[in-house]
Amino acid sequence: MRYLDANTWTGRWPFAFIEEHTPRSLAGHLRAHGNSRALVSPLDAVFAPEPGPANYQLLSTTEGVTGLVPVPVLNPGLAGWRDELATCAADPRVRAVRILPRYHNYRLAARAVLELAAELQRRRLRLIVQVRLIDERHEFHAMNLKPVPVAELQAFLRQAPRLRVLASGLLRSEILAVLPKHPRLLADLSFAEWHDTIPHLLAKVPARQLAFASHTPFLVTAAARAKLDTAEAGAATLRQIAAGNLERWLA
Amino acid sequence: MRAIDVHTHPLLRDDHRARAGADQLIRRARAHGIRHIVVLGDVLAYGRQPTAAQLQRINDDTAWLMRQYPGYVTGFCYVNPVLGERAVSREVDRCVARGFRGIKLEIANNAHDACMGPVMAAAERHGLIVLQHAWSMTKIRQRSFHTDPEDVATLARRFPRVRIIMAHLTGCGVRGVLAVKDCPNVVVDTSGAAPEAGLVEYAVAQLGAERVLYGSDVPIRDFAVALARITGTQLDAASQRKILHDNARALLRLP
Repeated sequence: MRYLDANTWTGRWPFAFIEEHTPRSLAGHLRAHGNSRALVSPLDAVFAPEPGPANYQLLSTTEGVTGLVPVPVLNPGLAGWRDELATCAADPRVRAVRILPRYHNYRLAARAVLELAAELQRRRLRLIVQVRLIDERHEFHAMNLKPVPVAELQAFLRQAPRLRVLASGLLRSEILAVLPKHPRLLADLSFAEWHDTIPHLLAKVPARQLAFASHTPFLVTAAARAKLDTAEAGAATLRQIAAGNLERWLA
Repeated sequence: MRAIDVHTHPLLRDDHRARAGADQLIRRARAHGIRHIVVLGDVLAYGRQPTAAQLQRINDDTAWLMRQYPGYVTGFCYVNPVLGERAVSREVDRCVARGFRGIKLEIANNAHDACMGPVMAAAERHGLIVLQHAWSMTKIRQRSFHTDPEDVATLARRFPRVRIIMAHLTGCGVRGVLAVKDCPNVVVDTSGAAPEAGLVEYAVAQLGAERVLYGSDVPIRDFAVALARITGTQLDAASQRKILHDNARALLRLP
């Protein structure tokens, strides 16, 4: 089965003993797990004063690295986001941008986020909303961050009904609560789990709304594959979740 | 690779499938190469302070699974230490008579509370293993009734002859591993939250592979994901075999 990973990262995360990947090492790591294609964002953009330098580094270092699709991080809480978007969008490989509302201290209801949504739609780009990066119970003790509440996400989806949005990092219960109400929303499976994850979700959520994601290097890469590879579901359905849905979303 | 899962809840009312669900879950366990499971009971069924009657009901379900799957299921007796010495002893004795091999403790109280005395005395008297739910309380802030790894260490030092499984390596984190490092009667299970990278390797580096046990926490977690926490590491095959199987076999004295 071919995989397209919706959620991977390069760079350093200071609060855990996890690998610090360059695009090349990340691509090699993913290939070793049978995954040759992935969307990738720069961790260095999470804590930097503004994401620009990390995005430019990502765009330059992913050039020539087969299989990695760069997904720059935008911070619409900063005045310069339009320029940043224009610079990133000039690279034809960029098909989507990622936002981290809680790490960058704004709400999805902020006017700038709605303006960003309109601008992305005008440019035919997609939006990834990072609902959580890590389990909020395991955040560094000095950080007081919560995930984006599903009510806030749903309100945003109602205000930007035509924008293609992927919610990254939703829990199983959140996927079950949100996706049936928002049939255009795609959600990655990085944090979703039950003893039979895929059939459990498919009982309430159409397969076309789910996307494979490993969340490397935060989570064990092999675990994401295992979730799909052992699922009791039809081969066509699994192919859709493994790559087809995300390919269609990006197209 | 064969595995023994030391942390399962095949009957969980949240799963809405009752005993038929347990059957499906055990079929999946077998399909994943799991040759034996420890059943801890439905700890979510009645809130954090179950009554004696509710505990009996939960443990009766576990006993049913032991009868239904002989040789495949080891039962741990779920107790509420806050109910006091008589209630604890009565339920532990009742479960031991049915072949239970351990005690399961959840969040009725913190493991450093005085009410743990009779529980640990019962464990020592019957040679039972104690599996204590634990999670880092740094962010959760429920330590008055919810056990932090530091509290497991306190418990282990007070009762050095009782073997303790500290549940939820992922929830306990690096600080939790360090907290119990000097407590040789404590082992940790690999369950808890999403499969965060690097933690199993860290636990092995600090505690040795002999003190890490595979646990899934199904049905809340996926067998395949739980197993990949170990098989997806760079740990050598011998260490993986210990974590997945050999350590639990020795601890549970399985054939």
